[in-house]
Amino acid sequence: MPSFVTYLIHTLFPPTVRYPDILLIDAGLIVGAIGLVGFLTKTHRWGWLWREWLTTVDHKKIAVMYLISAIVMLFRGGIDAEMLRAQLAMPSVHFMPAIQYDEVFTTHGTIMIFFMAMPFIFALFNAVIPLMIGARDVAFPRVNAMSFWLFAFGAILFNISFIIGGSPDAGWTAYPPYTGLAFNPGPGENYYFLALIIAGMGTTMTGINFLVTTIRMRAPGMTLMKMPMFVWATMVTSALILFAFPPLTVALAMSLFDRLFGSSFFTLTRGGMPMMYVNLFWLFGHPEVYILVIPLFGVFSEVVATFSRKALFGYPLMVVSILAIMFLSYGTWVHHFFTMGAGPGVNAFFGLSTMLIAIPTGVKIFNWIFTMWGGRIKMTVAMLYQMAFIPTFVIGGASGVMLAVVPADYQLHNTYFLIAHFHNVIIGGTLFGLLSGMYYWWPKMFGMKLNERQGKVAFWLFFIGFWITFTPQYLLGLKGMTRRLYTYPAGLGWHELNVISTVGAWIMGAGFVVLVYNVVWSLLYGERDVTGDPWDGRTLEWSLPSPVPEYNFARIPVVHERDEWWAMKQKGQTMAHALRPEDVHDIELPKNTPVPFLLGASFFVVGFGMTFKWWPIAIVGMLGVIACLLYSGFDYDDHHHLEADVVRQTEASLGRLQG
Amino acid sequence: MSEATKPITAEEAYNNENDKVLRFLKPRFHEEAFPTIQILGYIGSLILTFGAYFLVMNHVLPPVALLSVILVLAVFQAALQLGVFMHIREGRGLAWQLIPLYFVFFVALGMVGMSIWIMLFKSGVS
Ligand code: HEM
Ligand SMILES: [Cu+2]
Repeated sequence: MPSFVTYLIHTLFPPTVRYPDILLIDAGLIVGAIGLVGFLTKTHRWGWLWREWLTTVDHKKIAVMYLISAIVMLFRGGIDAEMLRAQLAMPSVHFMPAIQYDEVFTTHGTIMIFFMAMPFIFALFNAVIPLMIGARDVAFPRVNAMSFWLFAFGAILFNISFIIGGSPDAGWTAYPPYTGLAFNPGPGENYYFLALIIAGMGTTMTGINFLVTTIRMRAPGMTLMKMPMFVWATMVTSALILFAFPPLTVALAMSLFDRLFGSSFFTLTRGGMPMMYVNLFWLFGHPEVYILVIPLFGVFSEVVATFSRKALFGYPLMVVSILAIMFLSYGTWVHHFFTMGAGPGVNAFFGLSTMLIAIPTGVKIFNWIFTMWGGRIKMTVAMLYQMAFIPTFVIGGASGVMLAVVPADYQLHNTYFLIAHFHNVIIGGTLFGLLSGMYYWWPKMFGMKLNERQGKVAFWLFFIGFWITFTPQYLLGLKGMTRRLYTYPAGLGWHELNVISTVGAWIMGAGFVVLVYNVVWSLLYGERDVTGDPWDGRTLEWSLPSPVPEYNFARIPVVHERDEWWAMKQKGQTMAHALRPEDVHDIELPKNTPVPFLLGASFFVVGFGMTFKWWPIAIVGMLGVIACLLYSGFDYDDHHHLEADVVRQTEASLGRLQG
Repeated sequence: MSEATKPITAEEAYNNENDKVLRFLKPRFHEEAFPTIQILGYIGSLILTFGAYFLVMNHVLPPVALLSVILVLAVFQAALQLGVFMHIREGRGLAWQLIPLYFVFFVALGMVGMSIWIMLFKSGVS
């Protein structure tokens, strides 16, 4: 038996997971876990956790779980970023060896994109879409819960890699041959592929779910051209997800086959074609960057209209441009590998198509500005992020157009100029948008406002820190500093700029600390939202009390206007729409179920077994998956009726029932 | 924006002749006793998948013939999925069914066609 034990220790705890800093984190995690278990046991919260959260199918609770995961992942990705910046602050610093530096930038990128931005976006979808369109839930509530748990267990699988077995280290793009078995033995890349396949299934299901929800579940009267912009953004994003994720899944699965089953799709030998992976990856990757930003275009459109107290300027043009972006974003992916050398015809075509995208994007920017023009602007935190987004995103887009000039890209590709470009659009567009949406809809989700003063401090730290971090990186790129560089010698003229950049990263780190303080403080002492409409909003979600009752709408509204709630307020109809007791009927609601959680857990077992090629474990997990699907397929007892009386009582206690 | 002041009921909104979109939104369900077609379709899709696999693994055909046969199998597979599992025949409003379908064909052909175009460079360099 001892040989078996040594085998286990060698496989699970190779030297790469025994660096002193990682051992320290191990200790911290163990203490934290014991503390959490102790707390739950002591306060008798296990049953509550299971009934209220782990088995829930309520879109509002799923949104909260997505949000918590996203913020935790933002923390982890942020720590990684600080480590990278610390190493690069000075020439010839080696506090991380090359291999660990590689692992950290891989983890940083993968987590930020797949496990921070995506769940954060889904948190906003889940929190508001059904409320905005006047629905009681998403189209497929159980599938929605499955999506969440597939994402969550995928994220856990990815996140344990650095303490068990070793992290992936081939970048968030995982190009072969870096990921080939010959060059990269060990479980790291298996973790990457399996975690992304599992989370990706969840994402695809979310795409389908919200596509169907936005098409089929809208309240009567809400025609396509009366949908709020955020609903349009969700619909377009879902369509992008539906078409973008299959190429990714295929590319990941083929890479995994190369590693586990000896196929040679992307190997250097036996006729493999590594560049085909790159092609497939970016076939997904470019639509993905728009998946990451279009939802936030939607958020900004809501925020700017609410806080300028004007209807969104040029709504039809906004719809057309968002659709144009969707189409065009399928035809630009080669700009990520111009240097492959596919020839002038290919490169010219994709260079041009890339520049074309700037046109509809510019149209949207002007429309937001014209919405603010002449409006009575309220400078809330959400609005501050919106106003910071415009210049930041414009500059990021302009540097993108520079990269789309093929000869320039040969010079700038994979330098810090590229890093600065995409952080400019991803932080300025995605992260600012997510935070804007979080501050905007927080009262709806939790029933209290986030403190505005603290929020403004966090905002300024993020905004200033962002520019201090990334402006020098444009210059560093022009000076030839390449990305994914674990250290550099003195005397290249890179030193000062790198110091400035690292200082900026600390400022952003401070912003995150203030943000967390802001959230915790507000949960404890924040100003309660008793009206349900703290911002004087325009769309239907603000017609509901905060937090929203389980069934959302006691009576499904009928929509006449684009900004229905605003129109109702203008016409003084909010009371006319107050409920009469006879308007309330029994409400059919989806029933909680443990299947989604168990399905995610089973996939986790499959993933873990396959990572280490422990087939019996993988098979046990697979049996669990099949059992869950079979059970779920024949489970017809999936909904329950909420008695009309219960609804009446709830509404009356909220003061929303006549008589 | 319309000046509708009097709320209409959900039923009225669904039946509004001018509003094709809403008519589509009205849910219609129809259930089958036993899913014979789906089970046959499932077996059929497995046969098509494994057929392609064995053709590739056992090298029974010369490359060009192999590619053509696989392509034909793929077209059958797509037709089967659309017809059996995606209920393409159960019309609920043709436009809503067909426009996304055209979009799918457009995007899929674009992706495959352009990928071939992009990757042709290999024959030039190697
Ligand atoms: C006007 C719009 C845009 C243009 C013209 C543009 C152009 C480009 C080009 C040409 C590259 C490749 C550079 C290289 O590898 O040498 C690139 C990379 C990238 N862009 Fe953009 N972009 C635009 C908007 C966006 C947006 C909105 C996002 C995300 C929200 C984004 C995220 C990224 C990312 C993540 C990469 C780098 C991926 C990597 O190699 O790791 N871009 N962009
Ligand atoms: Cu791109």
